[in-house]
Amino acid sequence: MSGADGVKRYDPEFTKRVYKMDNGKWVKMCMQCGICPTTCTLRDIMDHSPRRIIQLIRAGDKEQVLKSNTLWLCTSCYTCACRCPRGVPMMDVMHDLRHLAEEEGYITNQSHMAKVYYNDVAKRGRIWEGGLTMKYGLKIGIGNALKMAREMQDVGMEMLKHKRLSIFPPKGVKNPAKLRAVLQKAAALAKEEG
Amino acid sequence: MKYNYFPGCASEGTALANYHAFLAVAKKLGIELNEIEDWNCCGATVTSSVIGEFPAQVLAARNLALAEKQQRDTDIVTTCSSCYAILGLTNNKFADEEFKKKANEALKEDELEYTGNLNVRFLLDVLVNDIGVEKIEAAAEKPLKGLKVAGYVGCQSVKALRGHYDDPEYPESLDKIIRALGAEAVEFENSNKCCTGALALTAPEITVSAVHPIIDGAAKAGADLIVTPCPLCQMNLDAYQAKANKQFQTNNNLPVLFITQLMALAFGLSRKEAGLDYCIVSPYQKLSNWV
Repeated sequence: MSGADGVKRYDPEFTKRVYKMDNGKWVKMCMQCGICPTTCTLRDIMDHSPRRIIQLIRAGDKEQVLKSNTLWLCTSCYTCACRCPRGVPMMDVMHDLRHLAEEEGYITNQSHMAKVYYNDVAKRGRIWEGGLTMKYGLKIGIGNALKMAREMQDVGMEMLKHKRLSIFPPKGVKNPAKLRAVLQKAAALAKEEG
Repeated sequence: MKYNYFPGCASEGTALANYHAFLAVAKKLGIELNEIEDWNCCGATVTSSVIGEFPAQVLAARNLALAEKQQRDTDIVTTCSSCYAILGLTNNKFADEEFKKKANEALKEDELEYTGNLNVRFLLDVLVNDIGVEKIEAAAEKPLKGLKVAGYVGCQSVKALRGHYDDPEYPESLDKIIRALGAEAVEFENSNKCCTGALALTAPEITVSAVHPIIDGAAKAGADLIVTPCPLCQMNLDAYQAKANKQFQTNNNLPVLFITQLMALAFGLSRKEAGLDYCIVSPYQKLSNWV
């Protein structure tokens, strides 16, 4: 329970904010039938099922939603979307929620990776897979990075041995500055709409 | 057959095998591939969490605009299931005039514009529906007789754009190609389960637990190897197989190839053209008759 200091746990403004996001209309469409958790690969290790996330959004339980590992465990496999009787693209809702969680400062390994990934896109226009893991390692802190290096060295060595991780970045787009200008303009347009 | 080709970032690293094998196979089948000049990362399913849904869609749309600028009225083909999902879903958004106007306003910063008139196609779709299994069968100079192949389609390849070219729950296109190459397509348990995609990088323990039942299912069904069209599926099943064996005390030894690699072999192309050296679980024993 997050309302220990008398801070209101249920915040209707949060519900409204999610409704206004790109996929907010789908949150309203859900009829809580529960088919999504029955199809979900990682339901067993999610702290809240996808169905429950929708319920928590409607209730305005901002903290429970934004700190939930569900947002980041969704693999975007689209299986639940195939079976949802209302056609709700749950992963798109999760993508919106991740963005909100990022803005509100909820940090996870996956959000670190997303940042590193995006930085590469913004800098070069393309992903340098070999560099991704290294930059991610820097982001999660030295202790975690060393642990990862130890646990993953077998996979990493095999990937290197079979020439599947380039040591140097492949070429990016010709003019990354223009690509960034496009993204900035898009962000401004999205903001205008609120 | 002519296409605007979107290779995607994996084709420059983890999925180099797919890149080379597809080019070789396409040549053999008379497919003209024109790589989209100056393409950028599609953004995958992670970018929107940093910059929001609309800017992420515009990032993907830049590729659609570049493709149209390069060759009008020519379909885009991609070999990556994630790129397919992102580019295809973004392309669908262009049916909405308001979205189109807004997206083009942003694309103008790079002197680009997109009408929404192209189709985004996945490799399997093009192979089965444009080229056709008969032509693939005819090109298979060295049919893979006696080889048992577990076709693992992956999720985004068929489930993101539902009903575009195959059944999302019971996909058939991959098995059709396997059979056209002369191999036996084996049914196996957990063939429709997710490999957990990019979680492999941030939560490898989850991926190991997820790939194990898929690999094990294929092994128990008697498969000699697994094929997939998807770069992330290929990497997870191949690179994490040893870890899965260790954790679950199994001795599975299933090579995991891209479907394009298997096609290259059946087409009589060399081991180099098929990119077999990129495979982590060695495929040479199982494929000794064809290499």
